[in-house]
Amino acid sequence: MSGALGSLRIVDVSGTVATGYCAKLFADYGAEVINLESDGGFPTRSLPPFLPEAQFPEASALHAYLSTNKYSVRAGTLSREECARLLDEADLVLDDGTSTLPVADCRKVRCSISWYGLTGPYAGYAGTDAQCYALNGMLRLIGRIEGPPIMPTGYQAQFVGGITAYIASLGLLLAGELGNRHGPVHLDTSIFESTMCFTDVGAITAHNTGLQASRMGVNRLPPTYPMGVFPCRDGWIGLSVLTPKQWHAFCALLDMNDFAAVPLFQSAIARNEAADVLEPIFSEKLLDLSAEELFYRGQAAGIPLARVPTMEELFGVDQYIERRAFTEATIGDRALTVPSVPFRLFATPPSFGGPVAALGAHDAEYAG
Amino acid sequence: MTRALEGIRIVDLTMGWAGPLATRNLADMGADVIKVESCERFDWWRSWEATPEWIADDGAEKSNQFNMVNRNKRAITLDLEHAEGRRLLLELVATANAVVENFSGGVLPKLNLSYDVFRAVRSDIVQLSMPAFGSTGPWRLFRAYGSTVEQSSGLPHLHGYPEDPPTMVHVAYGDAVGGLNGAAALLTALRHQRRTGEGQFVDLSQAESLFPLAAHGILAYAATGVVPARTANRVPDAAPHGVYPCASAAGEPDSWLLIEVRTEIQWQSLTAVIPETGGFGDLADRLARTTALDAAISSWTRTRPAREAMALLQRCGVPAVATNAMSDLIAEPQLRARGYWQWLDRAVVGNQPNPSPPYRLGDDPIPVRCPAPTLGQHNREVLGGILGLPDEELAALEVQGVIGTRPRMPTS
Repeated sequence: MSGALGSLRIVDVSGTVATGYCAKLFADYGAEVINLESDGGFPTRSLPPFLPEAQFPEASALHAYLSTNKYSVRAGTLSREECARLLDEADLVLDDGTSTLPVADCRKVRCSISWYGLTGPYAGYAGTDAQCYALNGMLRLIGRIEGPPIMPTGYQAQFVGGITAYIASLGLLLAGELGNRHGPVHLDTSIFESTMCFTDVGAITAHNTGLQASRMGVNRLPPTYPMGVFPCRDGWIGLSVLTPKQWHAFCALLDMNDFAAVPLFQSAIARNEAADVLEPIFSEKLLDLSAEELFYRGQAAGIPLARVPTMEELFGVDQYIERRAFTEATIGDRALTVPSVPFRLFATPPSFGGPVAALGAHDAEYAG
Repeated sequence: MTRALEGIRIVDLTMGWAGPLATRNLADMGADVIKVESCERFDWWRSWEATPEWIADDGAEKSNQFNMVNRNKRAITLDLEHAEGRRLLLELVATANAVVENFSGGVLPKLNLSYDVFRAVRSDIVQLSMPAFGSTGPWRLFRAYGSTVEQSSGLPHLHGYPEDPPTMVHVAYGDAVGGLNGAAALLTALRHQRRTGEGQFVDLSQAESLFPLAAHGILAYAATGVVPARTANRVPDAAPHGVYPCASAAGEPDSWLLIEVRTEIQWQSLTAVIPETGGFGDLADRLARTTALDAAISSWTRTRPAREAMALLQRCGVPAVATNAMSDLIAEPQLRARGYWQWLDRAVVGNQPNPSPPYRLGDDPIPVRCPAPTLGQHNREVLGGILGLPDEELAALEVQGVIGTRPRMPTS
């Protein structure tokens, strides 16, 4: 194996989205990553979205994305000693805290990634991604004023937990090389606590000020306005106008110069409170304009405007094409477009895509 | 082991949320992170609307968001537009393993700084740049906040009702995710540096950092060619699946319970707790009658406080949680039981809660060693202690305005 992490061996025994994404980052940078699966395969093999006309256990597009350049070994094909040795000799063992395999034998770093952590009153609770956002305070602020709050979709909390576990695990592996770690360690990573990175500041602010943020409506998020996603004649534009300078430039961009110098609108918070007054004025103008043109004109004027691409449009964005933001996972003879790793080391670049191992494809290599 | 990264030094030129969160992750593990601001170009996360009154009132030291992402660091001031400030920065870089910056594209070149300049003073230096859209491509100079990053990732198209605009989930979602990816990138390069003695340039796109969080939508389109529909809280493979109104506790009118039933065992458990759901059958039946099912569940939740309903359902293995408000989080039972909030005294603002790292070794959280530094707090310790500047030179630098401990209104 080559790459920045080329000499490391990682064993994932749980196959959740969180352990899978953590392990994927290691694999993308050259580590040898072994999916030590049950006979029925990892849980990610059963998660949508699925490839049409493909059969279980090779049908999950999500599993394919998470599993490029990894090895698949069924634990049941190894003897007890072989399994123990694999875990014992690994640099890092990833699990979800419930594995029945001898993960405690790991001699270097073991990282358990669970919904709520291994201790505390919620340790045994059934968890989901959206639950983490309900408990971290984010969910209450999303959506229409009258509710219900809108749930974040997909596996977002687990991806956040996965990269958090990557940071913690790699930090401890590096600690060993720095001479700062002696003997085995067991990391307890909480997915819920990982998602607190979004709301720590909200909690502290509420504590210090006594002010309670409330749900203000779709895309109405304190502390500023104009903010949100608005229709134009050819698609959607994303607005984020924060500083006085940006407000003035935004008014000039939309030919709203009468509003630029209004004292009330010089602060982000005051504009946010006056959102119901401001929105009809500029949103009507946006309907007649091109999102594409506005985006470039706004950026040239120093306003952080955004195109808001659909999933279909995303693959055609010139910036993302030029940077190879998407690549291909190969499942048998089939190619699937998947996101590339978001960070790039120039001297030791990551893998871009790669093959996805069928369940048990490497049983023989790790037996004996 | 609370100082896993002891021996690593990082020069931190970042501002805002994403960059400082990236370096804070390494500071939390014991790296020596030295934050560099200037008295005029101070971290805008302290305020984006600074005024003389704000300065006079110590506003720069009162920012909750600044203090939250800069703990465990040392802080100095250096005017990088001044030749002496730039020279001292490079002297400091010569002692470091890495430099991290998240300026808008074009700012570093204006300061006559670059990876090549840093490498000239430290041949194995790692430089992490984390502009919104990455350091290459036609958008490399474009500016963005965490909100812009969320918009640019397409993620809002996966949230909300079809009749509403694509719906954002956070005011700065991209910032925290970008920060985590920055920490991951930095550690990857530092591990390579440690083993080979090679430094390198590391490039992070904050917008691309959000693609994994949108993977369910990206992959659905890639696999099927069908653009995923926005369906608010409903999903095609689970019911009940939603957020249900609860009885209002005193002073809490916005009370909700989130329920996601993913297995038939969970469904059987739910029906035992909520008798109103007794008339519904298998998943196909529940999906066909979701509106009626949601109404039945709501009639039960409306009569109970969210925390009580959560306890009843979780006791039976049903994934259900109350939706916390921000003001609930300091006393949140799980966070409190795990000692998540660590209280430290800090200048100007007094005793403050600090979040623990979300990972731990053993039962106790990794200790937060020190609160966020004040502006230029470690000028003497760093410039004198590491670079060996005598007191008289520090005093002269202060007179010239190259260093200082009080912010000034920008003159340009």
